[in-house]
Amino acid sequence: MRPGDSRLAWMAGLTLFALWAASCGGKAKEAPGATAPSLPPSSRVEPFQFIDVAREAGLTRILLAGRPEKDHLLDSAGAGVAWLDFDRDGFLDVYLVNGWKLSGDRIAEKGRNALYRNRGDGTFEDVTESSRTGGEGRWGSGVTVADYDNDGYPDIFLTNFGPNVLYRNRGDGTFENVAARVGVESPGWNTGAAFFDADGDGDLDLYVAAYIDCTLEEVLKAERTLDWKGVDKVALGPFGLVGAADHFFLSDGHGRFREAAAEAGLEDRALAYGFGVRAADFDSDGDADLYVANDSDPNYLYRNEGKGKFREVGLWSGAALSANAAAQAGMGIAVGDAQGDGFLDIFVTNFAEDYSTLYLGDGKGFFQDSSEETGVAEPTFKPLSWGTSFADLDCDGDEDLVVANGHIYPQVDRHPEFDTTYAQKSLLLENTGKGKFIDATGRAGPGFAVARVSRGLAAGDYDNDGDLDLLISNLDAPPTLLRNDTPRRGTCFTVSLEIPPGHGTAIGAVVTLEAGGRKLVRDLSSSGSYLSVPDPRLHFGLGESKKVDRLEVRWPDGARQVLTNVAAEGLLTVRKEP
Amino acid sequence: MVRARRILMVLMLLVATAALQLPASAAGPETTGTPEQLVATYRSLADTILGAKKTEWNLVSSILAATYRHAEVTLAQARGQIQGKKDAKADLEKLATLVSQLGNEGDASVAAVRKKLVEGGHHHHAAEEQQGIYDEGYVIVTRAAKKVFLDAAGQIGKSAQAPNLAALDAEWLKVQKQYAALMK
Repeated sequence: MRPGDSRLAWMAGLTLFALWAASCGGKAKEAPGATAPSLPPSSRVEPFQFIDVAREAGLTRILLAGRPEKDHLLDSAGAGVAWLDFDRDGFLDVYLVNGWKLSGDRIAEKGRNALYRNRGDGTFEDVTESSRTGGEGRWGSGVTVADYDNDGYPDIFLTNFGPNVLYRNRGDGTFENVAARVGVESPGWNTGAAFFDADGDGDLDLYVAAYIDCTLEEVLKAERTLDWKGVDKVALGPFGLVGAADHFFLSDGHGRFREAAAEAGLEDRALAYGFGVRAADFDSDGDADLYVANDSDPNYLYRNEGKGKFREVGLWSGAALSANAAAQAGMGIAVGDAQGDGFLDIFVTNFAEDYSTLYLGDGKGFFQDSSEETGVAEPTFKPLSWGTSFADLDCDGDEDLVVANGHIYPQVDRHPEFDTTYAQKSLLLENTGKGKFIDATGRAGPGFAVARVSRGLAAGDYDNDGDLDLLISNLDAPPTLLRNDTPRRGTCFTVSLEIPPGHGTAIGAVVTLEAGGRKLVRDLSSSGSYLSVPDPRLHFGLGESKKVDRLEVRWPDGARQVLTNVAAEGLLTVRKEP
Repeated sequence: MVRARRILMVLMLLVATAALQLPASAAGPETTGTPEQLVATYRSLADTILGAKKTEWNLVSSILAATYRHAEVTLAQARGQIQGKKDAKADLEKLATLVSQLGNEGDASVAAVRKKLVEGGHHHHAAEEQQGIYDEGYVIVTRAAKKVFLDAAGQIGKSAQAPNLAALDAEWLKVQKQYAALMK
């Protein structure tokens, strides 16, 4: 859908729904004689349509990534992207994290991050300078977004190769870096991060993954010494390099943090090579658990035992390794409901010549690698995968999967006999309706036809047309903005969760929606994918259903709010009842 | 790391000293062989290297044995709780953790040590790692054995929600057999 096609209708719908929702006041009301329209059958032959509109939308910042030959892993790790509405005008803005350009053993250019304000007409304005969000000249890595100080405006936390940055949103279009002041700088090579309420006290705590313990001098002097298939030398690692410990910062409730990994049970004792981080309530007990994708080490699943204490249960919960008990090269994380059973599943992207893994959850905190049975193993085996997201891209009622790909060794292009390339196409895996996925990349439009060296990925509805668009970071190139022009195969429905400033956080809230006999679940997170941040609103595809029979919000503090018989078109804003 | 470097430096010093102490005739034109003193030093270094590998096996074996004994005690506690119709969740989850540590050749701290060795280029079963028989850096637990332990750990962990003595004993039997097979 193109931007601006139905702006007035959209805005009117938004207002009506907001009023309607407010009048419901959360009281459960069942409409007599309500029918349950059936969802459409599998739409496997229908095309998707994605078009890269980054250039015309104004997203032109080149994302720097070390040296052309990628002599060190830092050269090829790339960085994340974020959707956020920093000015609260109802349109998603874009934040891009940038790296540095190296030339041999010297720094050629320190890339600047970019904040792009959505003008509301499908284009963006670069407001990096005026907003003071350029990244402080650091080699950027990941991003997470949340209102950590509870003032009503989203703040931006950036992980770096170097001290982290926390941009506090001043609410006037400008930001200030308060990382040192509040205690979250922790220099090192930090990667994925997540704001979440670890101890259930209503304020946001922060987990930060770390990758390799190395110095800038080591990066600058790196030489390609790892043998690749006996035909070339490529960047060494991660084995052969020392892992760095992840961090956990506990909030004091007054905007300051302190390192508390050991006391919380979140100590990275394996010194694993951490990348993606995602908090979610995997065992449905009402508090936030934490999942960390580790490269070449078992992934971590930290189960929240209550009161801010965690226990690492990855190995015996089934979410740490592949089905044959092997540690994989975890990069990015998508959390969603692949089978429509109401339970959160975890999808982890991995290295080339190894499949990305779909762990189906049972809602009690146990998982099973079901990659083969669900069809995700085969199409994900060849590419080297990074950013990822569950997203119902055609609004047909089930969550599809998207995956951003790109090799880490440019040298592979010299050896076509190995049937791989440095630049790789992103993947669109269509959910056929019962948790089985098929590769729909070939019929996803021109946006999916171009091979790039991609890393971060985030789904978000930047043009407010109801469907999800895709923002992707690429190495040594501008980002990709894949506008979703897919013909609708159902009703698109968006839920925005709001808590008045000073009254806690909505991060971690779970929305369960029943429509057309199907139960759909989404949770609100501050980060995910590969070092990236999704749309802060929750998107549902309802198939042929035009109304939601029942919508329940479980807020992070345990309060529940129920709406019934909600007409489903456009955006519904649910404000937490006092 | 510092200690390892010191040991290495001492060894290098010994070798250098041995070389310096050689009589001139040892390297003279009458003999073309490698000086005996250097060979002797090298032989002794080889014993140290090979001994270290054996020591590593013994140490990992001790880690597994300690974990197994701890698991046996925990199993008994869990069985007692179940038989007494008391809450066995904590014991079963503890048992699941211990069994997963058998599969992982220790806990996460041990994994960090193992990684350090791999980072330094040390592999206990380099060839078998290439064939997928062992995971990188593992000393005793094969990939197949690891899977047996982790599958059992998962089942034991799940059973914490609805404890069942017969099911627990069945899973433990798998652990017992696998452990015995590895340690024989």
